[in-house]
Amino acid sequence: MKNLYKIIFGTIISIFILNGTLADEVNIYTSRHYDSDDALYSEFTAETGIQVNIISGGGNALMERLKAEGKNSPADIFFTVDAGNLWRVQKEGYFKSIESENIKSIVPENLRGPNDEWVAIAKRARVIYYNPSVISPEEMKNLNYEDLSNSDWKGKIAIRGSSNMYNQSLVASLISKHGVNQTEDWARGLVSNFARKPQGNDRAQIMAVANGEATLAIANSYYVGIMLSGRSGEEQLAAAKKVKIHFPNQDNRGAHINISGAGILKNSPNHDNAIKFLEFLLSKKVQKYMVNLSYEYPILPGVEPHPSIASFGTEFIEDRTSVANYGKYNTDAVMLMDRAGWQ
Amino acid sequence: MLKFQAINFWGSITYLILALFVLPVIIIISSLFGEWSENWSHIYNFVLFDYVSNSILLVMGVTVVVFIIGVGTAWIITNYKFFGKNVLEWALILPLSVPPYILAYTFTGLFDTYGTANNLLRDLFNLQSDYAFFPNIRNIYGAIIVFSFTLYPYVYLVSRSAFLNQSQAMIEAARLLGLNKIQVFFKLAVPIIRPAIIGGIMLVSMETLSDFGAVDHFAIQTFTTGIFRTWYGMYDINTAMQLASMLLLFVGLFLILERYSRNNAIYTSKSSTFRPIKLTKLQGHQGGLAFLICFLPVFIGFILPILELSFWAFERNLNFFDYKFLITTQNTIILAITAGILCSIFALLVNYSIRFNKDNFSRHAGSLLSLGYAVPGLILAVGIVQLFTWLDATVFVTSEIVLTGSLIGLIFAYIIKSYALANSSIESGYERISSSIDDSARVLKSTGFDMLKRIHFPLLKTSFLTSTLLVISEVTKELPATLILRPFNFDTLAVSTYIYAAEERMMQASAPAIAIVMVGLIPIIILTKMIRTSRPGKRDYE
Repeated sequence: MKNLYKIIFGTIISIFILNGTLADEVNIYTSRHYDSDDALYSEFTAETGIQVNIISGGGNALMERLKAEGKNSPADIFFTVDAGNLWRVQKEGYFKSIESENIKSIVPENLRGPNDEWVAIAKRARVIYYNPSVISPEEMKNLNYEDLSNSDWKGKIAIRGSSNMYNQSLVASLISKHGVNQTEDWARGLVSNFARKPQGNDRAQIMAVANGEATLAIANSYYVGIMLSGRSGEEQLAAAKKVKIHFPNQDNRGAHINISGAGILKNSPNHDNAIKFLEFLLSKKVQKYMVNLSYEYPILPGVEPHPSIASFGTEFIEDRTSVANYGKYNTDAVMLMDRAGWQ
Repeated sequence: MLKFQAINFWGSITYLILALFVLPVIIIISSLFGEWSENWSHIYNFVLFDYVSNSILLVMGVTVVVFIIGVGTAWIITNYKFFGKNVLEWALILPLSVPPYILAYTFTGLFDTYGTANNLLRDLFNLQSDYAFFPNIRNIYGAIIVFSFTLYPYVYLVSRSAFLNQSQAMIEAARLLGLNKIQVFFKLAVPIIRPAIIGGIMLVSMETLSDFGAVDHFAIQTFTTGIFRTWYGMYDINTAMQLASMLLLFVGLFLILERYSRNNAIYTSKSSTFRPIKLTKLQGHQGGLAFLICFLPVFIGFILPILELSFWAFERNLNFFDYKFLITTQNTIILAITAGILCSIFALLVNYSIRFNKDNFSRHAGSLLSLGYAVPGLILAVGIVQLFTWLDATVFVTSEIVLTGSLIGLIFAYIIKSYALANSSIESGYERISSSIDDSARVLKSTGFDMLKRIHFPLLKTSFLTSTLLVISEVTKELPATLILRPFNFDTLAVSTYIYAAEERMMQASAPAIAIVMVGLIPIIILTKMIRTSRPGKRDYE
């Protein structure tokens, strides 16, 4: 028993030492997790000599940790998906403006915080999937998000639950366009058109269209890329081959865009390294590398998305309203969906 | 009144630690005295009813099912001999190593319209491509099944050891007085072990109420999903904590009721009349039935998810087995063992001081700490973060952060989270030590810490080990606190699973998920060995 204790405590101490951080480093709180991230960080270290330290977790939980740590926080960068999350950190005043002309010249204004507190690293569209053997591309033409509440679509639409942040952001963007009342009517119409009780993730909605459980599915653009890669099994691959993407609102404001993005924290202990890291993420090589693995759309002009996602079209019109609005209207969006009975 | 001086030093340390550990729970509850935001009227008008009714339905359903499975199988195993019994006796505990959210994921993978099980049956019987053999499980009934079949071992464990302590003499007397076998079960055997069963069911209910992963996956609006919706969607963590506090108070009420019901009864049999239960041999279809009843829970709660996970893992190929995976496993094991031992020592000290001081502070603080188990992990983690940063700022007075993001902090959090588990087994161990032993010890001039070390600890060895093992298996599965409190570049198996499962990339999640189950198995195998070697009727102190 004594030996056991010795081993245990010896190992614990060795873990402490192993985790001791180096002087030249950058500390990142991230809610993005990809297998490939490790390779990316090693590449950054190899290029700059700066060690990358990571804590990954849910965006909301990491934000509470940030808040509690206050000015003693070791975090330099907060990296997350969904503009709403970034907006919240900014609103609480934890970010500082990113002062790098290089970065600002790459990221368009509608994909940055109001005072450049955060910037997009990659973007995605929330689009409509359909099966062309069930409904023709002509019938889909000029379909807007707003049309999904028409009773023509009764029992035909698959979408996931309202706890999902992508749906909250979509509804928030509609609120910013049409106001709460009109959007609530829309949501009621949409709910009455559901093909089934909301369940599963975005991919499950695409599967539902492929299987004929629903005619239309609302889901993010990159999921079909992941499914086509075969990484998640034969079934999803087969389903993804059956569907097409419709980009909504092409004759008006454009398809709903959301981002993966990052900001630098006010009390960042390694500020210069943090800037370097963001510039690294926005460099041509890394943008190419990232979108090839995540199937998102790149931010840097001149970089092509992955061929399998590009095959669905790259020349679509994007909604140019500031993604910062999603955060602003998120609470309204959630309450509205509750009232509309969107589970 | 007996003197308690020798333990004063230990006593005050216990007080201090206890006070510290209770603080996060108090931080959460104190939100009730803060501002009530206008979001409340929305919650009250539109969603609260669903949250409450679904949670109640869920807990009631789970309670009934775990009672039937846990007590039923324990009774069969204790009283009968049949084919496969020796294996099932310990196999029945295995589902404890499968976290509910993992069972939920594998269930949808199996039973969704296009899940593995439905596909298999369609291929087998050449059915239409949209025909689903199994009903939709993404609903409250599916959730009841998931929780019941992962958590029933808590009830099985306590019932089994309580049944083992029942004397054959008592049962024979009852039979002589005209009760048949079924009546003996319902009128005598079960009522007598009621406190143990209720204790087990309390643990199950608390874990069910605090779970987020499984109910979220099934899209059921429970109190916990409501808490997170308020936090994540309405950006209102204060209201989320108020909701969590209400859940806590509700559970607290039940804990008090349970304690009250237990206080009125002392359930020990005098050793002189004790005779171990005689096993009845079951043959033919009776034996087959007993086998089936005991095998089914193991199949649904353990074999099925492991099969599905292995299927995913192999489809994906085996490149997960690398250096990083080994480090992650090592991290998990070391953290779990450390937390398990410390938490059990701590529970022992608290119970000791309650026993001698008739110490109300320890008693109440201990109950409050047990409540930690019912708080959704992330909310508790937020309470802990707030406590740690406050301690870092005031006690350690450094500009560096000491506790937050350190392993000490993480272990601290695990102890708070799993104290209820440790306490349940140590407390019931203590209940079985007759006070006459304390008196004899005192006559022999053994008091205070000496008595704890030389008399109680040896008697409580089994309880202590059980407690350590339960905590280890809990910590291995623990996710939310680990996510938010861990140091940089530090992963555990649950974290790796989560990172993939959060995006429903189950193929990638399956390898670490299997590893969680395997690591969780180690303490459970030891536990089962203990059960096997404890002869029927043998108690800790014989």
